[in-house]
Amino acid sequence: MRSDAELIGRSLTGDRDAFVEVIYRHESAVGAYLARRVGREAAEDLLGEVWVAAFESRRSYDQSFAEARPWLYGVALNRLRRYWRSRPAEELVPDVTGMANGWDPWPAVDARVDTQAVLRTALAKLKPEEREVLTLVAWEDLTVADAARALGMPAGTGRRLLHQARMALRNAPEVAALITDLNSVKASQ
Amino acid sequence: MVDEMDLLSQVKDVAPLRTEAYERARTSLRAVMAESVTALVPEAPGAAPARKERFSWARNLRGSLGILGKAGIGAGITVAAAGVAVVVVATSTPHSASTSHVAASAGAAGSAAKAPAVGSRLVTLAADVKASGGSLSGDASLVIRTQTADGRKPDVTYNLYTDSGDLYVTDTQRALSSAIAHHANLAEPQNAKEVAAARYAATTGDLAKAREQMVNAIPNAWGLGVSPAEAQQEWDKAMAKLQPKLKANGITSPLPRPTGKALQDDINNYVWTNSVDALSWGAANPEVRAGVLSLISTIPDVTVADSTTGGQPTLTLTAGPALFQGAGEEVLTINAKTGMPISAVMQLAPGQKPSSGTIPPSSDTFKVSRVTLSDVQAGKF
Repeated sequence: MRSDAELIGRSLTGDRDAFVEVIYRHESAVGAYLARRVGREAAEDLLGEVWVAAFESRRSYDQSFAEARPWLYGVALNRLRRYWRSRPAEELVPDVTGMANGWDPWPAVDARVDTQAVLRTALAKLKPEEREVLTLVAWEDLTVADAARALGMPAGTGRRLLHQARMALRNAPEVAALITDLNSVKASQ
Repeated sequence: MVDEMDLLSQVKDVAPLRTEAYERARTSLRAVMAESVTALVPEAPGAAPARKERFSWARNLRGSLGILGKAGIGAGITVAAAGVAVVVVATSTPHSASTSHVAASAGAAGSAAKAPAVGSRLVTLAADVKASGGSLSGDASLVIRTQTADGRKPDVTYNLYTDSGDLYVTDTQRALSSAIAHHANLAEPQNAKEVAAARYAATTGDLAKAREQMVNAIPNAWGLGVSPAEAQQEWDKAMAKLQPKLKANGITSPLPRPTGKALQDDINNYVWTNSVDALSWGAANPEVRAGVLSLISTIPDVTVADSTTGGQPTLTLTAGPALFQGAGEEVLTINAKTGMPISAVMQLAPGQKPSSGTIPPSSDTFKVSRVTLSDVQAGKF
């Protein structure tokens, strides 16, 4: 199977199907990435813009990286920033609005709502870059190096930001209390 | 033990996007991909780079001129962007191949000798700009360009063009540092050629040769600077290469090479459009601005008027409909003293009504500064 980098390289020589193949590979992941941040409806509107932006900037893709997903997250984040800038202030809630959107498995719903509320508050207090690194690692299953790549920063900076974000989250009183509660329940089981 | 990463994992589930949303997104992508074909295939002479064509109707049109000319095509040129399709119908035969005389030389770009009256205004400004250059600080031009087109939200790009010919284009100022660090050089050969042609005009004053260089910065099928027989060969070769695409557009017989005024209009479209592009890359360099002004002064269908923009004296340069197959006009506003570009607006000509054959309005505004690459990389700008 050809790598994403090879397919992007082929698309630069006029093979349009090659780029569509890259999109097929990552559309679920990038769709989920968007939905987690702006909710499903807005994500559905934005996805096409992300593909267009990626196609138009594919010449800048560093083909030494075989897998394109981190790069696509970076492109998606740029579209999200533009989207957030374009929203009226009253519509803006922290970047994590998508967390509670749409679908909740019923058995876990109460716990999720509590956790979401606490995390939403704590995440909103992080610096944007800390939050991005943290959520790329926690939600999109990227390595820290790949998260840094998505954000166009050195891996060392990504590691530092992740550490800062985890410390800030862990030390947030509500999060700390929640972790203590959950560990107590777990210990008593 | 549960930690903060486990907590985050617990809330990562999200409603999946609907199947039709994925299909819709792919359709948007394919529409933009199709644009690069219908605005002529990448390998075709006359095709302009896709990156610059995103919002640029004029540049799409330029892409078609080198091949399709205005030789009575009667066929639409479909320009699709982000799912929005616009059909531009080329004008029928106002300047078609029926024009009786063939340009005396295939190097028809050399019409600079007949500089129009308005040209003197630009030539004077060009001389002033060049004289004011002095020793140039920095080693790059930073052009912050805001594009608005067809009812879309403004699109801001940060274009950093270095004196050595590298081009970094990003959505945010901060991302420039990263782009430089990652050597995300987006320069294409025509960027350097356009800038070089402008500087050649400024430094040598040989506008006939500079026009030829500016036109040839983008591949085209006219064969400028060669004998008429060789130019015809170039054209025939391009037509043969393009035949499958022409056939797909319903054009079955070979297109004749445009001649006379039609050819001059097409060539002047390239001189104008490529010159405006050169400003987009290198406007902070006085030689580039001076050269562009000199080159534009050679286009008969450009008018110059005094204006005021934001309280500062400006010149309004209007490239008339003849340069755009009658589909509209482009207005470039520059600072009257420095020649710095302020805006470029594509619009309908006075009295013209919107139709399928006219341009959708669009505008670019420019904020130009001279910078040092190392400062930009360090975020100091």
